[in-house]
Amino acid sequence: MKFGSAVAAAALLAVVTACGSGTTTAAGEGGGKVGIDHPRADSDFWNSYIKYVPQMASELKVDLMPPTNSQNDVAKLVNNVQALVGKGAKVIVMAPQDTGAIANTLQQLENKKIPVVTVDTRPDKGKVYMVVRADNRAYGTKACEFLGEKLGGKGKVVQLQGSLGSINGRDRSEAFLECMKSKYPGITVFSEPTEWEGSKAASMLQTRLEQNPDIKGIYMHAGGVHLAPTLQVLKQKGLLVPPSDPKHIFVVSNDGIPQEFEAIRKGDIDATVSQPADLYAKYALFYAKAAMEGKTFKPGPTDHDSTIIQLPNGLEDQLPAPLVTKDNVDDKSLWGNQVK
Amino acid sequence: MTTLTAPVPRVRLARFRDLTLVPVIVILLVVGAFLDPTFMTAGNLTNVLQQQAAISLLVLAEAMILIAGKFDLSLESTVGTAPAIAVMLVIPVTAGGFGLGLPGALVIPLALLVGAAIGAFNGFLIVRFKLSAFIVTLAMLIIVHGFLQGPTEGKTLFQLPDSILYLGSATWLGLPAAIWIAGALFAAGIFGLGYLRLGRALYAIGGNADAARAAGIRVDRVLYGVFILGGTLAALAGILETGRLGAIGNNQGVGWIFMVFAAAVIGGVSMDGGKGTILGALTGVLVIGLVQNILTLIGVSGFWQPVIYGGIILIALMISRIAGGKAQD
Repeated sequence: MKFGSAVAAAALLAVVTACGSGTTTAAGEGGGKVGIDHPRADSDFWNSYIKYVPQMASELKVDLMPPTNSQNDVAKLVNNVQALVGKGAKVIVMAPQDTGAIANTLQQLENKKIPVVTVDTRPDKGKVYMVVRADNRAYGTKACEFLGEKLGGKGKVVQLQGSLGSINGRDRSEAFLECMKSKYPGITVFSEPTEWEGSKAASMLQTRLEQNPDIKGIYMHAGGVHLAPTLQVLKQKGLLVPPSDPKHIFVVSNDGIPQEFEAIRKGDIDATVSQPADLYAKYALFYAKAAMEGKTFKPGPTDHDSTIIQLPNGLEDQLPAPLVTKDNVDDKSLWGNQVK
Repeated sequence: MTTLTAPVPRVRLARFRDLTLVPVIVILLVVGAFLDPTFMTAGNLTNVLQQQAAISLLVLAEAMILIAGKFDLSLESTVGTAPAIAVMLVIPVTAGGFGLGLPGALVIPLALLVGAAIGAFNGFLIVRFKLSAFIVTLAMLIIVHGFLQGPTEGKTLFQLPDSILYLGSATWLGLPAAIWIAGALFAAGIFGLGYLRLGRALYAIGGNADAARAAGIRVDRVLYGVFILGGTLAALAGILETGRLGAIGNNQGVGWIFMVFAAAVIGGVSMDGGKGTILGALTGVLVIGLVQNILTLIGVSGFWQPVIYGGIILIALMISRIAGGKAQD
């Protein structure tokens, strides 16, 4: 089904660009197409983002080309970007999960004067117009502060890490460890390299709890992957109890998907850092449009509660990522409450 | 009587060859106990068995297929897809299902049926069309995983019927049900391939299919059966894993096949067919499970785990080669 629609979209696109290529250059300000590549189709967070993209595009009146999907493969991303440019994209939005290997492509796009907006990751090298990204280090720090406070600065916690090969996984992990070390030196941290795999997370957590039955806190780097296995392990150990019970283990998650909110309402987990899928889509397209119109931005605070910072190779808009607890879990503005 | 007594000593010798990994397991137990006091507790060892129960069924399936001289890479995709499709047939549209509303009790039979159907299709392409098993099942690995990603649109299935969670999370007589199930199936496999006519036929086919055919074995039918059984076992592995994890993510089972081959091969199963035993394959799974457990317990840095993990598998391979005294293939 997916393949069929992709073929249809490609065919349609060929027709559209064939007719439109003459006019886009003449249209000048605001005209032209935005080419967008999605990084993967197998995670809850990215699927929400992918759903927001066409919605935000119509709100912002961005002329979006049919998106491509590089399935977590930087080689596919390079090919997709070439194809999008070949079909007449004037701006590229991408989310390179490999931040090093994309450098050459960025160089080529710069030579062609095609601005690039990257989402979620910050390329190591190569010019970018804007990086739209929440501060992943802040995720780790927020989770650390929440657990540190709940545990009163002592005890043992586990962090279920993502992939250490990804910058976001590393940022969360390092910031969490650094914060624990500096602010709560009385807390022992066990780091489990789960590679974003539920199966490994369940095994590692089960083993660690067997070894240290006095673990009192868990930081999950990705709720989409780690939530169900963690709850299942805690349930089997009889540790899924309300916060008032002394046996309660404090769990902080990361992502902000609806299932985490559900778990917070039930008291199964205590908090999550909401990674703003809606804002990612919105501001990626916002900056894509701005790039096409030739606008420029300066470092400093923005009108949407974020800060633009200067990078060696461009700018980065660091979007806010709120900590969601029982107190604000019903907030309508959280994207996890807007998806069905 | 004479015909019965003759094969006994041969069987015994073969048994010793299956157990070449036993010294490795003993070393791991000693080292583990030395490194961490939790390791040798009943609770921890039970956890290891529970954690390995699902993947062990894949090893059982792959060992039989390898012994019959074939290959199945697609098993790992069945682990996620079979339970996911079955669940989607049952749960409502709001939870991500197809909205058919079949009764929840049907989830497990449906999942097994999906697994069997995938196995049958593999068998059809390999036995009937005489296509290369390696390439067919490589393509099937991709396609079958696509049948998880396509209908779910990449979303994790969180709302599952209780029936599919039961086997992977229940406790029978003080041990997780998954351990009993895997144990019983391995016992059946060891007995079947060791003593039953049909089981021995797998060795004959894997050793020399033409000779087996000449000896009156219905080669095609047996191979079909092995692929269908393999797919069904993979689906069961998926059911156990789903119960353990409480949700079906889009990467359930992804990447397992490497561990499955590693376990089967260090356990003495030949990639060329005709050689190896189910008991050997079981020791292979145990080695891998113990290594993972020890690495977690002693908290090896995540950056270095793959190196140590791969290194230990290589060492296990060498020890089993030396202890077995025969060239591996």
